[in-house]
Amino acid sequence: MSATEIVFYGIAFVMIGGGLGVVLARNIVHSALALILALGAVAGIYVILTVEFLALTQLVVYGGAVIMLVLFALMLTRARERPQALFGKNRPIAFTIAAGLLAAFVAGIVASEWATANPDDIEPVPFQEIGDVLFSAWAVPFEVISVVLVIAMAGAILLSQPDQGEQ
Amino acid sequence: MPPLEHVLVVSAILFSIGVYGVLTRRNAVNILMSVELMLNAVSINMVAFAIYGRVAFDNTFTGIIFAFFIVVVAAAEVALALGIVVRLFRNRATANVDEVNLLKW
Repeated sequence: MSATEIVFYGIAFVMIGGGLGVVLARNIVHSALALILALGAVAGIYVILTVEFLALTQLVVYGGAVIMLVLFALMLTRARERPQALFGKNRPIAFTIAAGLLAAFVAGIVASEWATANPDDIEPVPFQEIGDVLFSAWAVPFEVISVVLVIAMAGAILLSQPDQGEQ
Repeated sequence: MPPLEHVLVVSAILFSIGVYGVLTRRNAVNILMSVELMLNAVSINMVAFAIYGRVAFDNTFTGIIFAFFIVVVAAAEVALALGIVVRLFRNRATANVDEVNLLKW
């Protein structure tokens, strides 16, 4: 087992631990903090897969912006002020569904034959090639997605504004 | 590099954890966090296929670009969804999805 693989399994372990923290924590703020751990570990997996560009994007967008928004929403909805049940009544059904889904995925992954390269000949993806592709073949989707982002931000501001006459 | 199957299994585990969270949590913000886990699991899948299939299929980074777009769309979705949650809390004084039964009578 190479050093990269050991690091990969370590990061995967941290990521799954963070994910379990998100869905099982008894305090919502703790589950937001576990989400930071899980998303940071996903960035680590991108580094292992040699896509440093995505790892940096992941850290900036998720580690910075999304977590900030989530914590702000928790603060504004005063999630901690009243003690309350965090889980609904359908936990056994949900567990069955999630476990069944996982079993189906794993069975499918193991049963399939993947036409992949030998993992040891994979070359790192240079930043420059991603940039070239993004601004040539994918230029139109890139522009569309920036418009989507602007509309979403405007919508978020509009939604969270008080109505006329409220307060 | 780990074999492709191991990356896929790790992302399947993360996706299933996200499904469990979406189905069990009551707080809307918490459900959103679980959705983020699922989106990230899918992104890992796409990147893994792009990286491991690059030599075999001569593809042009499509999976990586898709993962990049998923990050952007997720950011937009989080901003909108949290706006809705804050709005909901202001109107109904709750952020628990099972207490919001506006469409029932």
